[in-house]
Amino acid sequence: MQRDRKNDRRRLRLRSSILVLTLVLTLAFVPASYASHLEPFKSVPIPPANPQTPEKVELGKKLFFDRRLSGDGTMSCATCHNPEQAFTDGLDISLSYPTTKNWRNSPTLINVAFHKSFFYDGRASTLEDQALFPMMSAFEMNKNLAYLEEQIRVVPEYADSFRRVFGGDVTKERIAMAIAAFERTLISFDSPLDRYLTGDTSALSEGAAKGYRIFEGKGKCADCHNGVNLSDDRFYALNVPENPVLLNDPRVTATMRFVAKVYHYADYKNLKEDPGRFLITKKRADWKAFRTPTLREISKTAPYMHNGVFKTLDEVIDFFDEGGGSGNKVLRPLNLTPEEKKNLKTFLTEALTGKEIVIKYPEVP
Amino acid sequence: MKLYKGKIRLIIKNYPYKYRDFSHIAAEASLAARDQGKFWEMHDLLLRKSPQLDRANLIRYAQELGLDVKRFTDSIDRMKHSSEIERDKKLAVDLDLYNTPTFFINGRKVIGNRPFDYFKEIIDEELKNAKR
Repeated sequence: MQRDRKNDRRRLRLRSSILVLTLVLTLAFVPASYASHLEPFKSVPIPPANPQTPEKVELGKKLFFDRRLSGDGTMSCATCHNPEQAFTDGLDISLSYPTTKNWRNSPTLINVAFHKSFFYDGRASTLEDQALFPMMSAFEMNKNLAYLEEQIRVVPEYADSFRRVFGGDVTKERIAMAIAAFERTLISFDSPLDRYLTGDTSALSEGAAKGYRIFEGKGKCADCHNGVNLSDDRFYALNVPENPVLLNDPRVTATMRFVAKVYHYADYKNLKEDPGRFLITKKRADWKAFRTPTLREISKTAPYMHNGVFKTLDEVIDFFDEGGGSGNKVLRPLNLTPEEKKNLKTFLTEALTGKEIVIKYPEVP
Repeated sequence: MKLYKGKIRLIIKNYPYKYRDFSHIAAEASLAARDQGKFWEMHDLLLRKSPQLDRANLIRYAQELGLDVKRFTDSIDRMKHSSEIERDKKLAVDLDLYNTPTFFINGRKVIGNRPFDYFKEIIDEELKNAKR
């Protein structure tokens, strides 16, 4: 049985390789690291530079829930990554620092350990780097990090914890390391898909199994949503429609232009749409490109896309079925039937939901 | 509220943002307007006009709404409702709340501005639960 499954996988990979070749010939663009199969959860990748220890995770959890990390003491990481909302805030555009407005959706932290770059535009390359950005951001937590170090250091319990965990003093880098260690414990596992991929053929309902085949086949979802995290961690310009709030709320526009200014976008004063990955790379091909998100726990992380413009999975499926946004060079219409769309949705909602992550809230010192 | 007439009750508590210059006087203004039966009119106007919420502007808004301006001005100058506002602030701190707006719908906490449909789903669920 095991050998048969391995052979099946090899055959599937071979077929996938042929499919990739075909797509290269027929489409203007295909994802470079094509792998048509999904993988079950096995283990969490931990970077050697920041090994996990229970004490570090516990320290990181306290910091994650600590409002000292925001300038006015009103926000913690959990404000926008709420454990009760699958570590999102359930809004199209994320919550923001008081009196300001954010401009993008708050992504889930579940399975963030698997990503190779962070933020929708990939501006951070490690989870440790990522953790510092929102703290510093004027429209997120708006904290001066040098000041934060002092605020944390004067709390004896924190100072002791840092000595025990890191063998030294409080630094902003170690604050980020501890938070990242905690975030790497937020894992989606034991989902019906995991069970199915490890041999339990009854793990998917009939509708979900049909949806899985569409996901891998006609729907082409697995072209980009592959691997254990159902994300290839690459960036695609699908031309997702702008959320009207970006144009209609001057505070949101101000935030977008501020970020563009920080990233040296010359015409930031006239910017009217989210430039996506372009802001980071300045490559024309990255204009309005955003990172492939994980699809794990997708039923709990609405609204969808970098700007939360789609409220439901039906809208998302329709968007891809229609070949993405106007003028994009990545997608083509899929011509899914209503039944196929229904099955695909069943797969997404049923098969990708793992064991509930239960968080015991810490006592913040 | 129109959709759920007779089925739900909305209770508003003040939680003026501690680092904003005019948040306290704006809370006073909304309660002074309430004394004259125009809380919602003032509430909506304050949101539209923010951050122009200094004393002179508040008095101008009272005029716009046809309030008794002398009575209104006297109320905000004397901080007539400060004990009510302070009581609300203490309640927020006791509940460990830091973000505005925060809503409790039959005990279910919702933080931040949300589209109506978001509230509707929760309200419908809670109404269904209440009927059981």
